[in-house]
Amino acid sequence: MLTAGTFKRGLHKGVSTTWELTKVVIPVYLVVTFLKYTPVLGWITGACAPVMRLFGLSGEAAVPLVLGNLLNLYAAVGAITTLDLSSREITILAIMLLISHNLLVESAVSGRTGVNALVMAFFRLGLAFLCGLVLNLVL
Amino acid sequence: MQWEAFAREAVHGGLHNVLIMAGIIIPVMVILQIGRELNVLDRITVFVAPVLRLFGLSRQATFPLLVGVIFGIAYGAGVIIEAARSGEISWRDLFLVNLFLSACHAVIEDTALFIAIGADPWIILGGRFLLAVVLTYLVSRMGWLAARAPHAGAKPPG
Repeated sequence: MLTAGTFKRGLHKGVSTTWELTKVVIPVYLVVTFLKYTPVLGWITGACAPVMRLFGLSGEAAVPLVLGNLLNLYAAVGAITTLDLSSREITILAIMLLISHNLLVESAVSGRTGVNALVMAFFRLGLAFLCGLVLNLVL
Repeated sequence: MQWEAFAREAVHGGLHNVLIMAGIIIPVMVILQIGRELNVLDRITVFVAPVLRLFGLSRQATFPLLVGVIFGIAYGAGVIIEAARSGEISWRDLFLVNLFLSACHAVIEDTALFIAIGADPWIILGGRFLLAVVLTYLVSRMGWLAARAPHAGAKPPG
């Protein structure tokens, strides 16, 4: 049954998700923007460039990749919007992150369903890297 | 260090991005809620069950799979753990469901988030779906999985 309550509950979920998003995106955005004004982002970019090049990504793309896998997609999205990436790079990053993210939490959840959590985490990371490689070749 | 430029970029950029994402997330959550309360999933389950027989998945496994694909792993796992505890779903089916979901889950909310920041919708949605179908099909045909089949039912959680 659809009632006004449905829309209210949907709106409520939307607003609370947006709030969760804001709490993560804003601090990440602040920190990454700050790093951009210091030499630190340049160091990270230089160190990660050789690996990121395999996926057709610039070195600084390592920042959202690490944030997304350790924390969650909101943090990754916050970092991506701070950086100056092409739409091709964003699409490749998006696929990699959508497959593999929030590994600490989600692997634990998979583990509770009876599948080995560590295997699941490494499998998702491997799958994400593989997709990054393939997309870099076909896009 | 150009503090003023930093402050302007951080405040303006951060707020701007949150507003764009809110414009996508809020309508998406309303639509998901409508789907949930109209029991759209039950109807889709009937519709896609024959397709999922391709993987040799039982009818009972279809519902947890759909919940995970549409709403995400955390929400889907609640349903999967519940189903595993009741012993309705074999270890093989649970494994295939987890495998499919690892490549493709929360297709509405997470995809919307990345479309909002400029990713290609067809590639990030179609690509993941195709990957999940091919992967699950291949693994469902593997011998070692069948060999583990007698180990029915998942380990009790925790």
